[in-house]
Amino acid sequence: MKAVTEAVYLPALFLTVALLGGLRVDDRLTFVPPPLFALVLGIMLFGVLVRGHVLAPERLMRASRLPIENLNGFAVILSTFFAATQIFNLVTPEAGLPFLLFNVFLFVLLLNTLAASPDRVSVLRSMAVITGAAFILKFIVLGALSSPGEGALKRVLLALLEGVTLGTLTQPPLHPAAGYLAFATLVLFLVGLAMLPARGRSVALIKSGE
Amino acid sequence: MLIVMGERTVRLTGLALAMIYASFIVWLYVRQPQTFAEVTGGLTASVGAYRIDQQAFDDGLALFRRDEFEAARAAFNRADSAGQDARTQFYIAYAYYRSGWGRLYQDNEHFKLGLERVDKAIALAPGHRLIVDDPELQMHTADQLRAELAEGMRVEASDFNPMRMFRKRK
Repeated sequence: MKAVTEAVYLPALFLTVALLGGLRVDDRLTFVPPPLFALVLGIMLFGVLVRGHVLAPERLMRASRLPIENLNGFAVILSTFFAATQIFNLVTPEAGLPFLLFNVFLFVLLLNTLAASPDRVSVLRSMAVITGAAFILKFIVLGALSSPGEGALKRVLLALLEGVTLGTLTQPPLHPAAGYLAFATLVLFLVGLAMLPARGRSVALIKSGE
Repeated sequence: MLIVMGERTVRLTGLALAMIYASFIVWLYVRQPQTFAEVTGGLTASVGAYRIDQQAFDDGLALFRRDEFEAARAAFNRADSAGQDARTQFYIAYAYYRSGWGRLYQDNEHFKLGLERVDKAIALAPGHRLIVDDPELQMHTADQLRAELAEGMRVEASDFNPMRMFRKRK
């Protein structure tokens, strides 16, 4: 990996995700720190990245590297963890039953991914599906249910959810820019994950004829 | 050699930038600025370079002394648009106190806003200790003003004392 990628691009990218992950746009800006459970999910995601060979910590920090190289590697590892935590802060609803359900849903999905020990490409696909699904549920489905208007999607959802007390599902209305900002943050995060130094495959050299 | 030096420079610069950026993010989450003016004002205040608009402050003070409190607050807010000056925040809180004060009742909404501003003034003051030497005022410390605002928002038996009608505004 190039020095500039490790020292500049990756920390800048993940720190931007960490910044935007907690940003809530309303009539004023609010920076929401991650709830404790987001830290747990962040640790689990970090574990998934390492087990799935998306992130190879030994390529970022080891005894044979120079101290400045190790410091750059440490910055990448730390910023990746904070970005992972903030991604869950971003895609998890703010309160109520959806907050609980989303956290359980994400916890089980990450546990399943950890247990499966998938390869790098599968982990990246899995991350895109997990975060993408959570994004759709929070910013499109719950966003439509919580919006003050009477849109077509809201009417369809109300018909589907007949009998469910909406008070347990609705969230504070989202600012029109919130979804776009969240989408851009997710894309940045996934791009960052794809740029992380991966663990190389071990190659067995077998002489032909043996 | 040049390549090695170049890489080292890139790594050092990257590390420094990452640390500055991370510190900025932590600062944003701790201080919670709500507008761009508050971000820039907060950053300049953190390096001791923040200055209020003195002309707007003087206008606010003149309006405050003429009991035009709403206009005074507008001028004070303009003077300290980033909300980083303890003395200006103290005057805004004082203006809320005087607007909300009444012989028979207090306007709790004004007192609540005043309490928020005086708390901000206390948080901004060095050592959380703020004294304003203004002979026109009867409360010179942020602690006195805070106590008066907090007391005004509480409902107590003494609130029903008819002698309260003869008390004076501070």
